[in-house]
Amino acid sequence: MLTEREVLATLEMLRSENLDVRTVTLGVSLFDCASDDVGRFIERVRAKITRLAANLVDICDEVGLGYGIPIVNKRISVSPIAVAAGGFSAEQMCTIAEGLDDIARELRCDFLGGFSALVEKGFTRGDRALIEAIPEALARTGRICSSINVASTAAGINMDAVALMGRTIRRAAERTADRDGIGCAKLVVFANIPQDVPFMAGAYLGVGEPDAVINVGVSGPGVIKKAIDRARAANPSLDLGGLSETIKRTAFKVTRVGELIGRRVAVRLGVPFGVVDLSLAPTPTPGDSVGEIFQSLGLGSIGSPGSTAVLALLNDAVKKGGIFASSHVGGLSGAFIPVSEDLSIAAAARGGQLTIEKLEAMTSVCSVGLDMVAIPGDTPAETISGIIADEMAIGVINGKSTAARLIPVPGKRAGDTVSFGGLLGDATIMPVPGGGGSAGFISLGGRIPAPVHSFKN
Amino acid sequence: MKKTAVFVLGPDRSGIIAAVSQVLFEQGCNLEDVNQTSLQSQFVGIFIAAATDRAREQELLRALRERLDPLGLFVYVRPVGPADERPAAPSEPYVITTIGPDRAGLVAGITGLLASHGVNITNLKAVTRSEREHQEYVMYYEVDIPADTDRQAFRAALRERARELGLDVNLQHREIFEQVHRI
Repeated sequence: MLTEREVLATLEMLRSENLDVRTVTLGVSLFDCASDDVGRFIERVRAKITRLAANLVDICDEVGLGYGIPIVNKRISVSPIAVAAGGFSAEQMCTIAEGLDDIARELRCDFLGGFSALVEKGFTRGDRALIEAIPEALARTGRICSSINVASTAAGINMDAVALMGRTIRRAAERTADRDGIGCAKLVVFANIPQDVPFMAGAYLGVGEPDAVINVGVSGPGVIKKAIDRARAANPSLDLGGLSETIKRTAFKVTRVGELIGRRVAVRLGVPFGVVDLSLAPTPTPGDSVGEIFQSLGLGSIGSPGSTAVLALLNDAVKKGGIFASSHVGGLSGAFIPVSEDLSIAAAARGGQLTIEKLEAMTSVCSVGLDMVAIPGDTPAETISGIIADEMAIGVINGKSTAARLIPVPGKRAGDTVSFGGLLGDATIMPVPGGGGSAGFISLGGRIPAPVHSFKN
Repeated sequence: MKKTAVFVLGPDRSGIIAAVSQVLFEQGCNLEDVNQTSLQSQFVGIFIAAATDRAREQELLRALRERLDPLGLFVYVRPVGPADERPAAPSEPYVITTIGPDRAGLVAGITGLLASHGVNITNLKAVTRSEREHQEYVMYYEVDIPADTDRQAFRAALRERARELGLDVNLQHREIFEQVHRI
């Protein structure tokens, strides 16, 4: 017999706290699809993905309906295309991206990630072809996401790749200038990218992963915020230790939902269950914001002094609660602070309380990085590379994942607004201080060596 | 061994379980299962006892009445036989929650629909709670839905019935409630 509290609390999480499973992502290895003919490669990929994912959307909807918890996004992640299709040219890489886009559309999947390369130590021919193809591929497709890992704690930072990605981001923005540079919203540069991320734009299926696997990304910022508000209302003298405990307990509940639903979908699809990614992922829906949690914890706005400490507390409490709730935790696992995708963070950027420098500081304690940050369209490629290099350094030195998803919006200046639509949200262009002072450093190239503490053997 | 069910109903007060179990003991019955609940001021208890040979039903009833009549309690005794035990058909446990303004006929309206689909109620509770300055009436039903029930049709019928009654309704697999709150 259930208790009244168990029933009512669950109901409340659903009705007014936006509890959902943010994504169920089916990983599919494409290594057995290799071919020297691009048409044959795409056909093999189509056959394999279709065989595994034909019922993905229907099964997710049925399982979600059965438990009364919606699965918002159904996605596919594939082996890094730069490896699986390593022999092809940049133009052929674009053809592959279009083929993957068709497959995702036919299967009614929201996004397909894995138009990716891992270049932290250097480039293969396939890596170069893929990166060259990114601007065109993202312009020609709607559902394809691209990630490039340019650094790791074990390898250091490939500064040639950082320089190349600065230029690639500018090209991707210009190639989609008619849509405010939306190509860049589907492109992310990583340090220490996990092999099992279910969230976009970083989702891909690593080389150590099984042939097919279900990974789940949970959501829940609204649930955490309401739990904090309730706890503070019930006990106005509750301190940060007590509030951390509240967040932990709530993260446990949110994660259990993701774990249960992911496992059921995996059983129905007949593929193994991989991990739950414990990230708090906001959306531009009111009440589904990570930024609002900062206000519930006493800050005037995200970006106010104290924000890094709040984020550190939040990220840690979410992990502690989530790890106990799930048998396998992976992916990024922490709080996301995507500027345009979160109403409260977007408002702080618009109002000037949140600057790009403060965002960067905060990324040293959260799970992703400078995410969905719109910057002036005329920001030089070298400046973008400089921002990426700083972000990668934070990840490499701290032994964690960091990423940069920057959108230099063509024709727009700091303070202008841009609307990407849907989950990507609206943003105010953030000023980038320091102007063009990064070019000399970026032009040096080479690889920043791995930090001393990476040598653990 | 013969089993006997004892039902006790009436106004709640302290000492009811003690009185019933003492009589059962004196009558040579071994208490196997007991469950009680009280709602507002009213008490209901069910006692299943294994009777020894010397225990006779009429004698047991007489002794219970003698003890419970002064407390204003009604007692009923009947033998429990194999005919009472129906094999459970394969089913899945679900929880139905309804939320909306209180009015007459809500429970009858929902349970009538459940009965017509062969859905068995294992627990039902209704609570009133305040939500944004107005009162809401929340009912939750723990139910077993037979495995051969057309879930989609049942869900649609339940939605329609709830709409007629002015209620929001959720139908969720019970597992989610257990997983979220229990370790």
